[in-house]
Amino acid sequence: MIDFPSALLITSILGAILAGFACSTTGAFVVRMNLSSIGYLMSHAAFAGAAFGLMISIDPIIGAIIFSFGISLILGPLAEKARLESNIVIGFLFSFMIALAFIFLNFIPGTAASARALRILWGSIFSVSTSDLLLLSIFSFILIVFVIIFYKELIAIMFNRKLAESSGINTRLYYFAVLFLTGIAVSFSIRIVGGLLVFALIINPTSTAYQFFFDFKKIFIFSPIIGIVSCLVGFWLSLISDFPIGASIVLISAIFFTIAIIFSPKRKKGKSKIQQSVS
Amino acid sequence: MKKNSNIIELENIETIYEGEKSPVIYDINFKVKPGEFISVIGPNGAGKTTFLETINGLLSYSKGKCFVFGKEIKKHKSEIRKEIGYVIQNFEMDPLAPFLCKDIVMSGRTGKIGTFRFARKNDWDKVWYSMGLVGMIDFANRPIGKLSGGEFQKILLSRALAQNPKILLLDEPFSNLDYASRKQVETLLNRIHEKNNITILIVSHDLSFVPSRCKRIIVIDHGKIIMDGSREKILKSDIINSIFNGNGGKK
Repeated sequence: MIDFPSALLITSILGAILAGFACSTTGAFVVRMNLSSIGYLMSHAAFAGAAFGLMISIDPIIGAIIFSFGISLILGPLAEKARLESNIVIGFLFSFMIALAFIFLNFIPGTAASARALRILWGSIFSVSTSDLLLLSIFSFILIVFVIIFYKELIAIMFNRKLAESSGINTRLYYFAVLFLTGIAVSFSIRIVGGLLVFALIINPTSTAYQFFFDFKKIFIFSPIIGIVSCLVGFWLSLISDFPIGASIVLISAIFFTIAIIFSPKRKKGKSKIQQSVS
Repeated sequence: MKKNSNIIELENIETIYEGEKSPVIYDINFKVKPGEFISVIGPNGAGKTTFLETINGLLSYSKGKCFVFGKEIKKHKSEIRKEIGYVIQNFEMDPLAPFLCKDIVMSGRTGKIGTFRFARKNDWDKVWYSMGLVGMIDFANRPIGKLSGGEFQKILLSRALAQNPKILLLDEPFSNLDYASRKQVETLLNRIHEKNNITILIVSHDLSFVPSRCKRIIVIDHGKIIMDGSREKILKSDIINSIFNGNGGKK
């Protein structure tokens, strides 16, 4: 086990908890709306943004955030305009972002700069700064307020968008807001936990919660709890085993998901009362 | 704002889907007085659903004008929809979908409750009342995906009723229902109409289920209203026989 300064350890743990909370809360929407590939898109938008930042000699983080914000803003309207599933538009934008990243990297002299851009894609939990924590804390607070205030609208839309529209809800506004918040959650978390972990934190905790509950409210509550617990246990596993932190967290959340599938009460068949009464 | 006694008024309406050249419905002139109970019948693909969704503004019309409560739907969509209960044609539901029946029924009141407001006791009372009305109160905490087609249809009807609507638009509410359930829903619709005097438009491709309180029938075929009259007149008409082959199917 490696000895880390306690301040570094605390900021890293806090970063993982906040990223776990933000990603797995938006995961409740992502899983229901079949937007699982949004993690790929946002990580590569950040990568292209970082490459762009290096190309024009500004901080790559600023470039990454600008691109991620831009993509999360245009994703919803673009899907609407193209009359395509959001997942299809995500696929289109994903390849477009990779192409842009390669073009930008082509203009950056030296491999060191390219490696800086690639770090955005992989992230590093030990590079969490106080400003990262502050940003994620503010975002997590906004996310909680959004879910509480618009819970009834979100439930109506997640059930059936057309029926929600027919009841007088401006579904387009909420749909875009959900896509935007998911994009922001990913782009804030990506530098801390990396593209791979962001993807796992969005999908795994919510998919685990889905195995146990029929009530969307409980999924909203338990998805972030499972996300945070996965992060903490994964962190601990990493410290005792020297596994990479990101991989450890993914491993733990995958174990939780597997256990959930095996023990899911949703698939259990009850004992037949008719047979009991006959015997 | 149009001042007259009609609750719904369509003038020369034409609705075309995006990317299509020919309209799904056209030359639609239709007036409804408050409290009327109307059946909209026609074979599959005649444009009945398009007709309903033009009235509540889910589809925007390309020609003409549509007024509901004297206001043009294009300009007052959200406001008007809060007063219209809509039961969508049955759709497939994931058996593991994480929604409870009571929450789905409550979602019907979302527009009425308003943004930045939470459901209160009064809203839940409306939910319990409308679930009781369709005989589904015992299903309140059941997952929506575990219901049979008929039960699901009743929850959708209950959702629309929880809205406390002035107009009820029902798209094929008898589909997926067995004979007993159809009779139940028919009785229920008659009772709702009698008690609350709600304006009801019910779309069906089945001539055998026109609720007894429904006194007016319109027939849509190939996107046009071809008949509009009293129940007796329409059901005895020869044209009906030329459109339907007696069991609701297309000839």
